[in-house]
Amino acid sequence: MTQEKKITVKKQAYLVNDEIADKIRHIMKEKDKLFFNIMGSIGAGKTLLLERIAEKLTPHYKIFVINGDVATTIDADRIAAKGATTVQINTGGGCHLSANLIQKELDKINIDDYDIFFAENVGNLICPAAWDVGAQMNIVVVSITEGEYVIKKHPIIFKGAAIAVINKCDLDGLGFDSGNLVEDAGKIKSDMRVICTSAKTSLGLESLIEALGIQLP
Amino acid sequence: MHEYSLASAIVEQVKKIALGHNASKVKTITVSADPYEMVIPDLLKEAYGIITDELELFKDSKLELLILPAEIICIDCDHKGEPSIEGDDEFAYNFKCAKCGSRDTHLNIRHLTIETVDLEIPE
Ligand SMILES: Nc1nc2c(ncn2[C@@H]2O[C@H](COP(=O)(O)OP(=O)(O)O)[C@@H](O)[C@H]2O)c(=O)[nH]1
Ligand SMILES: [Mg+2]
Ligand SMILES: [Zn+2]
Repeated sequence: MTQEKKITVKKQAYLVNDEIADKIRHIMKEKDKLFFNIMGSIGAGKTLLLERIAEKLTPHYKIFVINGDVATTIDADRIAAKGATTVQINTGGGCHLSANLIQKELDKINIDDYDIFFAENVGNLICPAAWDVGAQMNIVVVSITEGEYVIKKHPIIFKGAAIAVINKCDLDGLGFDSGNLVEDAGKIKSDMRVICTSAKTSLGLESLIEALGIQLP
Repeated sequence: MHEYSLASAIVEQVKKIALGHNASKVKTITVSADPYEMVIPDLLKEAYGIITDELELFKDSKLELLILPAEIICIDCDHKGEPSIEGDDEFAYNFKCAKCGSRDTHLNIRHLTIETVDLEIPE
């Protein structure tokens, strides 16, 4: 004989991920470290921006970058060449980084050896929005070559971001226009910083570093 | 396209619940999702089917998905609730405040939640 029973659960499917993410955030805070999650589409310039940021920061800070990509170590190698310590996570087709993937990499290092941590998320404007990786701040990078509707089409990821970076602004006026994207980003929510950058010319890099709350001597 | 990760997270949690209740079968799992969470119901069910296919505990079980109304919190007037019914003809998703019409809002995504599990328990 069996009986049927309805159990009230009320628990998030992401529970395990979110618990790990909270733990990462807590440890980073306790140790006075900064951890940023850089999201954005493929080719928006996340890696080149991180190269530029690494160049600026590594004379003063120890930087650790976790690169999420479906395959290859190209991005991690590029940023490592600028003086940061990097590790590549290959998600093997996975569309986002998750907290346990970050935790696994943090387990392999001594967090005290570094000051500032970055995760370059998998190029995607949809899935990473739902997965907390334990960062203190989410940054979304889009570039003006992605078309003028990229923010209008993908506003959800921006709702969870503290900073929207509009990249490739060196191409402004050369058949591309940053104006639309800046305007749309400004309509997402008033407490999101919108910064125009060029990872090629370093335009806006200082504003970005300042918005991250990183002090340079 | 992370329905597979989500389905497997659901199965893992329900497995523990079922074992905790000495259940012999999982009959129905009801989950709720936010419309702005971008979970594709059919893909989630399909992933659930694939994951549970060979699991005796989940044989013939059903995954039911409730899509909740979206919830926004207005930065201008503090109103919290469903976005305005007029919609937003500019952006792909509607974040406009139902009270003051402002789009200056936070989005409160209620992540995929396991609401209830119907179990078969031997007496
Ligand atoms: N003109 C220009 N090209 C850029 C800029 N940022 C990145 N790129 C180029 O865009 C391509 C993709 O950049 P990458 O950093 O790999 O993008 P990711 O996929 O977001 O990491 C590369 O060819 C970069 O050199 C920029 O600000 N201006
Ligand atoms: Mg990259
Ligand atoms: Zn309002």
